[in-house]
Amino acid sequence: MKTQARLMLFSMIACVAYTLAYYFDWSLFRYYLGTGTVGLSAPSTAGAPILWYGWLATAVLAGLAAAFVIPRSLSARLSPELVWLVPSITLLAALMYELRWFL
Amino acid sequence: MMTALLIFHGLLAVALLGAVTHQALAASVRRSEPRTRSFFARFRATDASAYGTPVAVLFVVVMIVGAILYPRYRLVVRPLLQTLDLRAANGAFELKEHFSALGLMLLPAYWACWRQPLVPAYAAARLWLTWIVALTVWWNFVVGQLLVSIKGLAL
Repeated sequence: MKTQARLMLFSMIACVAYTLAYYFDWSLFRYYLGTGTVGLSAPSTAGAPILWYGWLATAVLAGLAAAFVIPRSLSARLSPELVWLVPSITLLAALMYELRWFL
Repeated sequence: MMTALLIFHGLLAVALLGAVTHQALAASVRRSEPRTRSFFARFRATDASAYGTPVAVLFVVVMIVGAILYPRYRLVVRPLLQTLDLRAANGAFELKEHFSALGLMLLPAYWACWRQPLVPAYAAARLWLTWIVALTVWWNFVVGQLLVSIKGLAL
């Protein structure tokens, strides 16, 4: 049960962190297509950056931090309903955010 | 090389699609004895919990291969979509990115829900998370096929 609670906490926090990461552009790093390099900034010759890898890293880091920092007593008390509600809301948020492409 | 990897990505996605769809449907209907020998009776008799780990592993592998292919998509396909002003196709892929990422993030919870022995308190979460994973996989598969039909990854 304790491991399950941690895994569920990771998922909830990571989903929310990913949503915030793409919305606010909190990319842990950038991958530059032109030079094939990874970093936080690069010269203009480096080409367009890919942020998606950095968003994933941000989300994983936030999820891991929450899973290990939040006390077990607190994570075990989380409602089981939140486990599917939080990811559902983040999926809906992604859908709403990208609707601009279809209008 | 990239085309071979794209085909591998597609084949793995087919396996994932089959597994998660079977699991989602089997988890949604009441199990019955396979005595009637009909296709649907056998389908319902499937043990949905057996798919938890294979679906999680397949999802991660498909995602890793997709992540390797992604820069090529950005270099070859996306500029074409922008040039042709195919906004819906572009947006569909943006959603594919988010659905893949969110699917990956919720995978630990999904896997935990399907761990034996199954915890009754997580019955609703088990069902919903399975359907969420199934829907994201279906979206990603259909969009992937759509984009390959517009432009493959070959230069």
